[in-house]
Amino acid sequence: MDLVLQLLFTGIGIGAVYALVALGFVLIFRATNVVNFAQGEFSMVAAYIMVVCAVDLALPYWLSFIIALAGMAVVGLVFNLGVYYPLRHRTYLPVIIATIGASILMANGVLALYGPQPQVLPGWFETPGIQLGPVYLDSQYLLIIAVTVVLVIFNYWFFEHTMLGKKLQATSQDKEMASLLGISVSTMIMITFIYSAVLGGLAGLLVAPLLFVSIQMGSTIALKAFAATIIGGFGDVAGAIIGGLALGIIETFGAAYISVPYKDGFAFLVLVLFLVFRPQGIFGERVAEKA
Amino acid sequence: MALLEITDLNVRYGEIVALRGVSFAVEEGQVVTLLGANGAGKSTTLRAISGLAKPASGDILFDGKSIAGLGPEAIVRMGISHVPEGRRVFPGLTVKENIMLGGSNRRAAKAELGREADAMFDLFPDIRKFSGALGWTLSGGQLQMVAVARGLMAKPRLLLLDEPSLGLAPVIVQAVFRIISEIRRTTTVLLVEQNARMGLSVADQGYVLETGRIVLGGKPEDLWANEGIAAAYLGGHGKPAAGLAAH
Repeated sequence: MDLVLQLLFTGIGIGAVYALVALGFVLIFRATNVVNFAQGEFSMVAAYIMVVCAVDLALPYWLSFIIALAGMAVVGLVFNLGVYYPLRHRTYLPVIIATIGASILMANGVLALYGPQPQVLPGWFETPGIQLGPVYLDSQYLLIIAVTVVLVIFNYWFFEHTMLGKKLQATSQDKEMASLLGISVSTMIMITFIYSAVLGGLAGLLVAPLLFVSIQMGSTIALKAFAATIIGGFGDVAGAIIGGLALGIIETFGAAYISVPYKDGFAFLVLVLFLVFRPQGIFGERVAEKA
Repeated sequence: MALLEITDLNVRYGEIVALRGVSFAVEEGQVVTLLGANGAGKSTTLRAISGLAKPASGDILFDGKSIAGLGPEAIVRMGISHVPEGRRVFPGLTVKENIMLGGSNRRAAKAELGREADAMFDLFPDIRKFSGALGWTLSGGQLQMVAVARGLMAKPRLLLLDEPSLGLAPVIVQAVFRIISEIRRTTTVLLVEQNARMGLSVADQGYVLETGRIVLGGKPEDLWANEGIAAAYLGGHGKPAAGLAAH
């Protein structure tokens, strides 16, 4: 029982990272009808900015964190202007290919600038964690869970209770109609890219101390997050979060009880099972988008 | 000077010519109705005015200023609100949110838009009780009311209405047209209709489009008076029954 609680805590922590990246996937998909294959690279780039600031330049951790997130906002803006905007009147295919191109460019750009050696990023807290009864709560996992909870609440408030959130929803549901009402569609999409890049970056900053910071970290996280969005129900915000948490828990338990080397395999096994038996995901496709 | 003046307007979709040399004017305070069959160019005319379709040539003057080639976001800010074919109510937003978003062309705070949306239900009492319902749950007539209410939230000087009667039961069509006769007291309306009787019943001026050209125009009574024209373009029954003409 103690082990189960311990694994649950760890699973939720890692699942929260997938949930943040998955949320970025879903928001961009809903706004542009395109899967952004560079979403994982946002996490990787943010982690490298963090390494440069906090380790190489020895800036305070909190300041490095803010610089990295601000940097991701700029990356999101440039990504929108350079990758999406010129192709916005084309079909989805050129845009998807452009995001793949951008992901290769970002990975190799970082490789050229920083070199191939994986880097180590310390966690935010010096205390490694606290013992709570039978469960050991690692401080970095606690931070991940806390930040994700705050973000999910913020995300809900933003989309359900602000006019900007409603305009973003309107844009994702019917761009032409939104423009007829005077909503600036290109601004709404730009905001979506910036927000998604910051979300992806935040996930990268939170998970980096648990892994090595490497060129490959983006694609691993993105694949898991992508699986999470499909498990949750593609295009559904709540589905992305639930799917991310579910995936984190499943792979943690799989690693503990079945096989550690096949840890990553469990995520994709679950994905395949979902694709075969419930391709619409846990939450199904929203009726709203069918009407 | 007319509020809206269209001169020799040509619109193409790729190789297909949708409008050829269309010219007409809408005076302030009038209701003008465009009639015609499917594919005659009625919707394209509205789309060109609201900026969804780019004119290949010709000019569109609104209040004396050329708006041809401007984007829809700029045009709605100048005071032209387009309620497009098919209602296009946002399915995943509530009725009230849909109506509130109609004010996106103006600088208004959320609370103010909320109050204005509530006031809008006085004109559309039938949808008041669906204020919190999501768009996709409504019937066609309710959606049409929401779409018109949302269009009015822009506080337009000119309202473009595309086929408000399409697919609605006759009793609902009458309700929609009662609302149009309310709207015309404060707002100029350019109406597109296939239903010639209803369309002309509220109009000061009517035009008939055929394959991208205006083939006929005049006051509704003159259009009805010409038996041949009425038979060819307006549904083939000559003068409408007295009861309908009263609307």
